[in-house]
Amino acid sequence: MSMYILSSDEISQLVTELQASYAVYGPQVEPQTRQVFFDLINDATALDLEAPIPSMPVKEILFPQMERILKYKYDAETQSVEMARQYFEQPKVLFGLRPCDLAGIQALDRFFLGQEFVDDVYLTHRRQCLLISNTCLHPFPQCFCVCTHSGPDADEGFDLDLTKLADGYLVKVGSEKGRALADAHNWTPAKPQQLSEQKAVVDKCIDLFPDMATDNKAWVSRVMNRITTGFIKSETWEYIGDQCLECGACSFVCPTCSCFNIEDAQTECGECERLRTRDSCSFEGYARMAGDHNPRQPVEDRRNKRFFCKLSYSQSKKYLRPGCVGCGRCQWVCPGDIGLPNVVQYIRREITGGEA
Amino acid sequence: MQLMNYKTCVCNLCGTGCGQFLKTDGRQVFGVAPLIAHPVSKGKLCIRGWHANELLNTNERITQPMIRENGQLRPASYEEAIALVASRMQQFDGAKGEIGILASARSSNEDGYTLGRLAHEVFGTRLQGIGAEAGHRKSMASLEHAFGYPGAHGSLTSIDHADYILVVGTDITRQNPIIGGNIHAAQRRGARVVTLSSSRTQIAKLSTKHFQQKPGTKGLLVNALAKALLGIRTANRERKANIDQMPGYSDYVASLRSISSVALERASGIRYEEIEEEAKYLEQAKSIVILFSSGISGLDRPTIDAITNLALLTDRMDHEHSAVIPVAGISNLQGSFDMGVSGEPGNSVFKALASPDSAIRALFVIDHDDGIIRDRERIASLDFVVYSCAYKSAFMDLAHVVFPLPAFNETDGTYTASDRRVQITRKNVDNPHKVLPGWALFQKIAAAAGHQWGYANAADVFIELANNTPGYAGLSHQQLSQGFGQHWNPQAFPNSRRRKFNAINIEYWESPTTPEFPFALMIGKAQHYWHQNNLMRKTIVPRREYDQTLWLYPHGYIEISPDDATRLKVKDKWLVNVRSSIGTHMKIAVKISPDVQSGTAYIPYFIKNMISDFLLPYENAYAAGEESVIPIQIQE
Ligand code: SF4
Ligand code: SF4
Ligand code: SF4
Ligand code: SF4
Repeated sequence: MSMYILSSDEISQLVTELQASYAVYGPQVEPQTRQVFFDLINDATALDLEAPIPSMPVKEILFPQMERILKYKYDAETQSVEMARQYFEQPKVLFGLRPCDLAGIQALDRFFLGQEFVDDVYLTHRRQCLLISNTCLHPFPQCFCVCTHSGPDADEGFDLDLTKLADGYLVKVGSEKGRALADAHNWTPAKPQQLSEQKAVVDKCIDLFPDMATDNKAWVSRVMNRITTGFIKSETWEYIGDQCLECGACSFVCPTCSCFNIEDAQTECGECERLRTRDSCSFEGYARMAGDHNPRQPVEDRRNKRFFCKLSYSQSKKYLRPGCVGCGRCQWVCPGDIGLPNVVQYIRREITGGEA
Repeated sequence: MQLMNYKTCVCNLCGTGCGQFLKTDGRQVFGVAPLIAHPVSKGKLCIRGWHANELLNTNERITQPMIRENGQLRPASYEEAIALVASRMQQFDGAKGEIGILASARSSNEDGYTLGRLAHEVFGTRLQGIGAEAGHRKSMASLEHAFGYPGAHGSLTSIDHADYILVVGTDITRQNPIIGGNIHAAQRRGARVVTLSSSRTQIAKLSTKHFQQKPGTKGLLVNALAKALLGIRTANRERKANIDQMPGYSDYVASLRSISSVALERASGIRYEEIEEEAKYLEQAKSIVILFSSGISGLDRPTIDAITNLALLTDRMDHEHSAVIPVAGISNLQGSFDMGVSGEPGNSVFKALASPDSAIRALFVIDHDDGIIRDRERIASLDFVVYSCAYKSAFMDLAHVVFPLPAFNETDGTYTASDRRVQITRKNVDNPHKVLPGWALFQKIAAAAGHQWGYANAADVFIELANNTPGYAGLSHQQLSQGFGQHWNPQAFPNSRRRKFNAINIEYWESPTTPEFPFALMIGKAQHYWHQNNLMRKTIVPRREYDQTLWLYPHGYIEISPDDATRLKVKDKWLVNVRSSIGTHMKIAVKISPDVQSGTAYIPYFIKNMISDFLLPYENAYAAGEESVIPIQIQE
């Protein structure tokens, strides 16, 4: 793997240069609230590679909360339908992805592109997408990627990967596209000791994870085992379900949740538009099946579905990795107290009979 | 540097006032993100807040003024419509009660204030009211008597610090979910959370202690708790409290002393010993928060008086983390009261519409929910009705002139949450149809009638309203834009330091049920709290959730306990005959729920329309929510 070392200035130049032919997105800090978003970059200086994990997952760009995908109009006279799709391809760079978000994109790729059915909307957003990841130097509150093998550094799936070292950014090339970009520049090759420096940086970051997270590492697989085999007491699910306020937030902020809903709506002038919106298995209506029968009606069963999706072997097989990438966002946004790390805790408590 | 696509906003879908980001390119809203730094919502939003983007994308918008001609609404220019309204309104005599104003609890303070001016100065009327105000007026009156000003005592953020939290009645995880979430978090950090509710609501399940009292006895129970607290107090007189100096104290104490434990237990089903145990915790708490729901599903006055009295009696109300908060289901209910457009007794537009011999001939209405158009016949027979709203609604059918309004993110405006926190929402998308904001529309109507106001923008309006509204002095748009708003200042009220007990009456509520009509029917909780709202029907996912309930129970449902279901030999979704003691009748599906007490039955709010014949004689029961009980029999 070729590696280079770039100064902050060179990184900044790269951003500006890419902006000429791509829409460049990256982490930025909203000035008033200090909240981090992975948003379109206007001015290269707004990119903040040291900003904490973005508050919303990067799927915002590839799988928006709401998008118009189609417009159609029926002409009664000619009995014909005019249709026009509403999503368009745009070359883009996702600059400075946290490794967990990169893993999230890989999971979404598997879901939308990797099965019998290829989702054209997602594909259109995903094609011509340059992925540049960024190693975490320290975990942020609620991060637990060490348990789900998705951080704090990226090992695959990127075009370029950055790690901030003492003398600049170590840049790893991870794909042909990345290769081409590197070849077009006169970047300084990295020295071997800089690779070991990078390893040390990652090890240090892993050490910085709170005990709860590292401790949970072994537990995640035990919990997965339990969830897969359905060997969890109904009281535990009920305890979890009682705390769910059915807001849907956990799915909206999860880098790997892919549920959506399609709705056709009439516009002013007799046209129809087709909207695609994000959805969540925490909602009763989502699981509704025809024939007045809802297989997952009690809320604890719906919760159960989500954790099954994130933490079971059968789902992992589908994504080729655990459905949870350990970003901890669901813990942040849950008005109950049932973010995924907590659920692992609850099940762990059940297994140990209340201890630890 | 501003972000390209994320703009701060205040959720306008209930009186919690959560902070949110809208994802927008300045033309359309594509999504929502929570706002982590917001002191109340702290990065959380409920199902409504998370789907604000769907509402803001609806095609069901009013986009231009309209005038009714030959029975049909036709597009009109602002000039034409405004001139028509100004000249028609001059034909009515406001002073004689011919013009009524129906304000909205979702309007911004700027719109509420200027609507008040339009009514009082231009139309010359005081006949007014706010949709859904009934319950809130009682809360305001009780709080004003107790604390000296009509508003919440303390802040919602107190929930995060208080030792003791009492939730009276409200199904708060449905009505104001983020407050519910904060209470749940408080319980986890060790606060004692106590819920008083006749059904086992979600917050009841998440509480440290749930008193599941019989219907109609919440106030009695609160008073009993006060009596028990007083008992401990007298026993260890170590406090320096001077609550006994407050007006009303001795009458209050005398009433409390008269509570009989036997009668209490018979009425409420709760033993006094249990309440005495609870009082020990209350006595130990240094900071106490009491929450109750206000507005359409609010409590009755005696219950609210019991609550405010108990609060004063604890002697903890000066603690920085104590609070008494009337929790509103609609975003700016508090602000609309502050702006002076509520219908106090003597000038209530609702009363005028309901009395056949009132003088009312014209009605000026802002944003009214479909489901609760009361006195529709009367409104339809008025000479002139003007309706203004951002969204299409059934009220348009009743209007002679219709005006569009911007959505809450299409114009600058301030909103006052349940705990008096005044927050600003800035315009963050275009206003493609050049729709005038409410204040600007009212200013133009005023000008057409010869009154010049001279506001250049919403900030100007705010400067004036801050000068004229007690508590708002010192606030401005600019200052509210820094941080997350500010509570209005109670000290502007001269009596704010003079606390008083409300007069109470101890009544042992007798259930109106009889052997023949053994079930106490209440109108109450529902899976989701939509307050019959014109707005949530215009979303996608929340609407589907609402429809989901209808899918399972297409004609609504009546909730009963599993024991009663066994006794009646009915199964879930079976149709039963329900007959009320005054003879109305309906056929409705049964929903079996372990959360309701035997002998009680609930129908959710939103099915009122479907069973209106049944409820018609019970208009008040509907307004009184769980406080009012209809005796019924249920037969297979
Ligand atoms: S389940 Fe929670 S922690 Fe896991 S990836 Fe999704 S949001 Fe992140
Ligand atoms: S979860 Fe891991 S990869 Fe993601 S931001 Fe936190 S430390 Fe980085
Ligand atoms: S974020 Fe929490 S409360 Fe909301 S749907 Fe998910 S689990 Fe339920
Ligand atoms: S609790 Fe109220 S203010 Fe908060 S997100 Fe929900 S509807 Fe909006």
